[in-house]
Amino acid sequence: MIARRDVLRASAALALCGCRQRARPVREDGRLVVTFWYAYGDLVRKVLLELVARYNASQSRILVKAVHQGDYFEALAKLRTALAAGAAPTLSHVVLEVVPYLARAGVLEPLDDYDGAREMPFVPALDQRGSFAGAGREPLVAIPFNRSTPIAFANARVLEEERVEMPRTWEELAEAARRLTRRASNGEVRWGFEVPVSWWYWVAMVGQAGGRLVEPDGSLTLGGDAGVEAIRFWQRLVRQDRVMRQPPGRDYQAWQSSNESFLQGRIAMMWSSTAYVRYLEDNARFPVVAAPLPRHVRASVPTGGTMFVLVRSAPDEEKLAAWDFVRWMCADEQTIAWSTRTGYLPVTRPAVQRLAERGWYARHPNDRVAYDQLSDATPWPWSPDLFRVDRDVVEPRLEDAVLTGRDARALLDEARSEARRPA
Amino acid sequence: MTPRARWHPWAMLGPTLALLAVFFLAPIGVAAYESLFSWDLLTPPRFVGASNYAALAARGELLHVALRTTAYSAIVVLGTMSLGLALALLVDRPGRLFALVRTSVFSAYVVSWVAVALLWMWMLDGNGGIFGRALHGSPLGDPGWALPTLAVVGIWKLTGYSMIVFLAGLQGVPRSLHEAAALDGAGAWGRLRHVTLPLLAPTAAFVATTSLVTSFQAFDVVRIMTQGGPARSTELFVYAIYEQVFLDLSVGRASALTVVFFALLLALAALQLRVWRARGEAAR
Repeated sequence: MIARRDVLRASAALALCGCRQRARPVREDGRLVVTFWYAYGDLVRKVLLELVARYNASQSRILVKAVHQGDYFEALAKLRTALAAGAAPTLSHVVLEVVPYLARAGVLEPLDDYDGAREMPFVPALDQRGSFAGAGREPLVAIPFNRSTPIAFANARVLEEERVEMPRTWEELAEAARRLTRRASNGEVRWGFEVPVSWWYWVAMVGQAGGRLVEPDGSLTLGGDAGVEAIRFWQRLVRQDRVMRQPPGRDYQAWQSSNESFLQGRIAMMWSSTAYVRYLEDNARFPVVAAPLPRHVRASVPTGGTMFVLVRSAPDEEKLAAWDFVRWMCADEQTIAWSTRTGYLPVTRPAVQRLAERGWYARHPNDRVAYDQLSDATPWPWSPDLFRVDRDVVEPRLEDAVLTGRDARALLDEARSEARRPA
Repeated sequence: MTPRARWHPWAMLGPTLALLAVFFLAPIGVAAYESLFSWDLLTPPRFVGASNYAALAARGELLHVALRTTAYSAIVVLGTMSLGLALALLVDRPGRLFALVRTSVFSAYVVSWVAVALLWMWMLDGNGGIFGRALHGSPLGDPGWALPTLAVVGIWKLTGYSMIVFLAGLQGVPRSLHEAAALDGAGAWGRLRHVTLPLLAPTAAFVATTSLVTSFQAFDVVRIMTQGGPARSTELFVYAIYEQVFLDLSVGRASALTVVFFALLLALAALQLRVWRARGEAAR
């Protein structure tokens, strides 16, 4: 007799990509269809769809169908569900933190043996091995796509009026935010500084305070004292100095809120992604200046954005076709178009070189900031628990600490013990 | 009417029972079973016994989510009932103006939750929203105010429904009773208190039950407006289940939350039935 647990296990095993391969590739008008799930809105979506249309027009064998799936986290939820249901697309792109987890689950296609995979001239800090510490022995499963770092933006006009320079250290940031904050008699406030209280920026500050999420021996420390110091700095700016506003909403809602406040002149400085360089420059009614994030005991930033991944359960013919599209996207022309029209980092060395030779960076110094910051980029640990620790353990506690003023050390102690507990 | 054969009632009930079994009982059974495993949809499940419940309880999450959901429901149910009744009494009059008011108030109920949430987000936006600017910031960013704000949105959306049901209830109040009470010297307040309200009690019970169920199932408004934040202050039951399974990769914990949610709703429904039955017996 079959036990119920066996049935559950069997269905889970079936759900594993390798066991549930879609047998037949999809064709349309004689062209092989590659379904590509993407997670962008606004300008970035427009640029991506134009590139996809250009690829489809450039040849007659493959038809890439780009399907919008919400923001990164919605798209990931749909991807996981589709993987379990055996209805996943051929190609998608996912945030870095989830790559080790998906790789361990065996749902990503190993790419080492794909044509040209090992010779692609990626910027070292941006490819899989540069983005993750300890990924050297792992199969290649992720190709850099829209890559970024957090950078600082400021309203150059306000800086000039208030005679404030872009801060280079945490203390300079606190002082600049104090000088730039203005409270009107009707209660309206122009905030000196704003940043979404979220994982990515906290990781940046942990590094700047001299800590790391995971020690070289593999133990998860969440930055130790540096993690506490990062939270306390936020608490000071928001609760004590009252020079920083925490944007409402979570995830990208908060990011969007910051962008809007910045464009309306309601905040003077903010941290955001280099992805918004073009959007902010094109929509601001004042000059926008970008700068590296300030240092504390050292300079440090995480990289962000997403990586292309091929779904292992897709038919082989579709995966080869998807690979053709990925290689096309990583060619110089597309890499340059993608980067210059959005603000994302150019992911290959020849593209960077051509941009420099054409004088792009001289004309657009804000675009250069993230690339220069890569020298201070801290790779992510190759940990399958990284995404869970981010979403379930750390992120909610950061908000809690800043909004309610709970003790940072107690919160991080609690987070560490929960992170060590099996999921 | 007497059935010709003993199996006839079962044949009549069959389709409903089959639907209930497939779409309600079986999923709850599966959820209860899966709550005993650690499973992320992609890797094989691991039996963990009651650990998922223990983890949720240890983190205080179960209690917090239950309290938050109950608080949200209490505000929404009380708000929609009192406002709905007040509006129904106010617009229970002939004339085009009152018809326009009735239609306008009810129209909010017809609009989808997503549209309502987006509309309110726009009005509460601290950068340009009519309320956000007046309040010098969005209350959705304040852990103390975010939940009451969502409840206000819920009240705004559901009051039209409550008003229409109360209006229907008011049509069932015999005019002769009002006239008799007036002859006995009862004023407007006396007639409302001693004639209208007692006769509206069954309608009120119906509105309370449906509003309670709707408010307990709140998801869209949380998903669109706050995603459970800030600092989890608006994480209600259904959203917490969604977050556990799709964002935190934990089917087991989501299933445990589902089971507790089911038990809580069952207990509330049983309590309500008991109160109704007790009232019915007292009336006899």
